Amino acid sequence: MDKLYIFLKYFFIVVWTVFVVAPFLWALTTSFKDFQSVNGGVTYIPWVDFEPNLEGWKVLIKSPAKGGVDIIEPYFNSMFVTCTASLISIILGTLSAYALSRYTFKAGFVKNNDITFFFISQRIMPPIVLSIPFFLFLSSINLLDSLTGLIVVYIVLLMPIAVWIMVDFFNKVPREIDETALIDGCNPYQAFLKVVLPNSIPGLIVAGMFCIIFGWIDFFFAFILTFTEVQLLPVKIVALNSSVTPWWSLSASALVSVAPLIIVAFIVERYLSKGNLSGAIK
Amino acid sequence: MAKIDLSNISHSYNPNDLNPVYALNPFSMTWENGNRYAILGPSGCGKTTMLNIVSGLVRPSAGRILFDDKDVTDLKTEDRNIAQVFQFPVIYNTMTVYENLAFPLKCRDFSKNKIDERVNSVAETLNLQSFLNSPARKLTADQKQLISLGRGLVREDVAAILMDEPLTVIDPDLKFRLRRNLKEINEQYKTTLVYVTHDQNEAMTFADNIIVMSEGEVVQTGSPKELFERPNTTFVGYFIGSPAMNLFESEVSSNNSVKIDNILIKTQTNLSNLKTKNIKLGIRSEFIKIAQNQNENLVDVNVEKVEDLGNYKLITAKMGNFTIKSKVNRETEIPNQKVKLHIPAEKCCVYEDNKLI
Repeated sequence: MDKLYIFLKYFFIVVWTVFVVAPFLWALTTSFKDFQSVNGGVTYIPWVDFEPNLEGWKVLIKSPAKGGVDIIEPYFNSMFVTCTASLISIILGTLSAYALSRYTFKAGFVKNNDITFFFISQRIMPPIVLSIPFFLFLSSINLLDSLTGLIVVYIVLLMPIAVWIMVDFFNKVPREIDETALIDGCNPYQAFLKVVLPNSIPGLIVAGMFCIIFGWIDFFFAFILTFTEVQLLPVKIVALNSSVTPWWSLSASALVSVAPLIIVAFIVERYLSKGNLSGAIK
Repeated sequence: MAKIDLSNISHSYNPNDLNPVYALNPFSMTWENGNRYAILGPSGCGKTTMLNIVSGLVRPSAGRILFDDKDVTDLKTEDRNIAQVFQFPVIYNTMTVYENLAFPLKCRDFSKNKIDERVNSVAETLNLQSFLNSPARKLTADQKQLISLGRGLVREDVAAILMDEPLTVIDPDLKFRLRRNLKEINEQYKTTLVYVTHDQNEAMTFADNIIVMSEGEVVQTGSPKELFERPNTTFVGYFIGSPAMNLFESEVSSNNSVKIDNILIKTQTNLSNLKTKNIKLGIRSEFIKIAQNQNENLVDVNVEKVEDLGNYKLITAKMGNFTIKSKVNRETEIPNQKVKLHIPAEKCCVYEDNKLI
């Protein structure tokens, strides 16, 4: 029975690992192939099935004048927009979440839970519904096709995630901690900054991770709200496609674009495990 | 350190509703500087609300709070200089034990030397010296509670230390030692200590004044002896003491005697001005003994069971339709089923409408 269990366990782990890793391996080998190796039949192993070359990677950093596509600028644009928007969303989201968790608000029939739901409801709507209002809004304040405009839009999209995660997190931090801090002589701001916030670092990291992921992978709004002045990475990658699909450079750029998320995942992985989250509270 | 006056305090958590429910009915009380008080009562009787009102976490619906005759009702918690320890240990997880203990002083901008001196002295009192540099979250539940307690003690000038069932999570052995520590601290620093509990033994051994509460009402305030011997209401008689006070439905028979099932019991209470004839007679089982050579207030009872509870024996017997309990010395021989018990007149309490006459 035990042996069967162990066998099945590892069997499924292996199957799942293959399922997850295979696309990456596929992209990795493809990125070193040329036209002939991709279109001339199935090839797997470098140096045996095909001769690897760096063309797919070189194209990414060559300037367009020399026939390249130069994803470096869009890469840093994406990074700047994602990090700035995530940071602002986390700061604003954490403050609102703390207020929603600790104070009672009431305006007619609208109470704390309704306000929290209002934030989340922003993410329930299909993005297409928001695209026209956002377009008109940004064009009215002259921020279309600009990094600032994108940051504004991304804050709107990311803050609900931060609020949602942090409200839940603060609700689990015992109120007595704030009360004790007040009794010990902090004012409410100090109690929040010195006591509650340090206790909420795992929550902040999880919220931050979600913001970064959702900001980084967004294609839709980056595509609709920018044209020539500013380009983000997902838009640039899609633009790589042409009449002859350059699988090699597409694969290379896909790997490059996933890399930051993999690094983020490794850093926050330990905070995602349940034990760490609950251990931080009690 | 301060004298704390609670004047006409009352509190409701839904004051704007048509029928507000009062967690605390109006009462006035003074806590003298340097005394030890215990607030005793069943769960949900308003004990914690009372503490939170004093510390400023809750603003009372009505009434004023004065520290040394200075009105602090509108003062914020952080400006009241109160220490409060909660039922479950509240520690700052991200700090070391030292930083936890130093926090209240840091918030109040004490000098580094002063902080060092106070933290070390408190750590010594609470036996925490060897943990000072460990992360507070790594300690056991009772050590964590010691830290909460320590944060209360670290400020010398604190108006009062309020404790909300602080020893619940601590094991019995340490509980006993800590209670003694608290007493010593109180005697040494003359800090006013207020201790909320639902455990009467804890209250009796700790406090020199006990405030008994029931359903948002302060029922009686007094020394442990007063509460034990002269409970103001049948509730206090029932709630304090183990076993609870013997209470008998009775009728007034003369100026100072009552009848329980036709048995005449003399008391030292003047019963001439009573509105009703139906009253209750209360007597502690500790005062009821097997009759020796007394010649009045004797009752014949049928012994139902005798429990040996270590340092005393508890007799449960039937007196007519009533059950009577008597605590006697362990060595006392209980003759047979029929026993004569003596009820001393000076220890009898008579209650009209459940209130002491």
